Amino acid sequence: MEKIIEVQHLSKSFGTNEVLKDIDFAVNKGEVVCIIGSSGSGKSTLLRCINLLEKPSGGQIIYKGENILDDQHDIFEYRTKLGMVFQQFNLFNNLNVLGNCVVGQVKVLKRSKEEAEKVALKYLKVVGMDQYVTAKPKQLSGGQKQRVAIARALSMEPDVMLFDEPTSALDPEMVGEVLKVMKTLVESGLTMLVVTHEMGFAKEVADRVVFMDKGVIEEEGPPEQIFNNPKTERTREFLKRTLEKE
Amino acid sequence: MTLEWLLKIFVDNWPMYLRGAGITLYIALTGTLIGSFIGLLIGVIRTIPKPEKGIKKIILKLVNMFLTAYIEFFRGTPMIVQAMVIYYGSALAFNINVDRLVAALFIVSINTGAYMSEIVRGGIISIDKGQFEAAQAIGMNHLQTMKNIVLPQVIRNILPATGNEFIINIKDTSVLNVIAVSELFFQTKSIAGNNFRYFESFFVACVIYLIMTLTVTWILRSIERKLDGPDSFTLGGNQMQV
Repeated sequence: MEKIIEVQHLSKSFGTNEVLKDIDFAVNKGEVVCIIGSSGSGKSTLLRCINLLEKPSGGQIIYKGENILDDQHDIFEYRTKLGMVFQQFNLFNNLNVLGNCVVGQVKVLKRSKEEAEKVALKYLKVVGMDQYVTAKPKQLSGGQKQRVAIARALSMEPDVMLFDEPTSALDPEMVGEVLKVMKTLVESGLTMLVVTHEMGFAKEVADRVVFMDKGVIEEEGPPEQIFNNPKTERTREFLKRTLEKE
Repeated sequence: MTLEWLLKIFVDNWPMYLRGAGITLYIALTGTLIGSFIGLLIGVIRTIPKPEKGIKKIILKLVNMFLTAYIEFFRGTPMIVQAMVIYYGSALAFNINVDRLVAALFIVSINTGAYMSEIVRGGIISIDKGQFEAAQAIGMNHLQTMKNIVLPQVIRNILPATGNEFIINIKDTSVLNVIAVSELFFQTKSIAGNNFRYFESFFVACVIYLIMTLTVTWILRSIERKLDGPDSFTLGGNQMQV
């Protein structure tokens, strides 16, 4: 399988606090990878290091065979290849729904306004928000905001979609609508890397589940293995604690 | 009796009052606009992410030092003194006679710029970090993020403070009479010097100042309301006319 992103010996410290320790990890084309683990295990930091929102303290990130931590590498161009969906949606409050999906295409990808709007509408339809093109973010519910945020990321037509706990800030009744959209993306064959607390979702759609604990990848494998037959004690403990709640 | 004088003074001198008010508004408006622009520019420069090494880091540091000195100097000295120093200083240093109105516009603009840059800085800080990250994540650089995402929101957020600056400028241009700019206060002084009716002449000026500031307040409020728009969205409502 073709590796899209490969992380080698990645480490990240905030001051003396070592959040990621020597992580080796890869995402293959067309694969859906879910990262699970308790709060503070470093899973969000890993995701944020991958698109360089956090600068890694050490190691390499290889994208299509090139080390993007090279000084010469154009990180702005690299970031357009990764779509990012945040826990807090982070929509641009000064722009309406369509504007949120258009601005990056026009300003960064230099697409024409007409083309950008066409692309934006296509993806707004995918997430079921095409009726709200002129709405401002403050007029939307949390679930609607997150669906627009997904459409915004998709509009850049990235190679990989990164989701950073996309449903954690949502009211319970809105989690479903966002997960449903994500499932349609999985079916479309998109490469996805999802940090999530939704074990049901991970079990159902992931090709591979990565369990992180205390800054290291404790265990990874197909969901059947992780959920039904975990190898390490820590994974077992974590799943027991989490699944009890559900 | 006094009322009669008020009316008489206004009827006799209204062209002078009007010209004075016009100059006052012109200086205040231009000064506020240029000052706001300076403030936005400085706000953008001061929030540039720190480069880690090299010549860029040194340049940025020098620029920031210069900007801090500028802000502290103009916030820390009275505008009336700045007017004297700049107007007479430029004559002394470069042996040129600056046009009084140009000097006035310059002084009010850079003075407002110093205040506005702090207001803008506060406005930029108040935009949540998530929007900066979202802009970064779709590949925008600092300038693109500022121009397309942050500044439009900052401008909305600092509008009340900008209005405040405008009103302060309408009133504070009166100190420019020390370099003989023919704004409202200066004109009123001339009028009063002719008729020796100081109270009545300045009372008329007082009313004119009040009319100007109240009008500006009212206009800014309506702009704010218009910018904010409704809090809820109705599907198929008239907002859908794209």
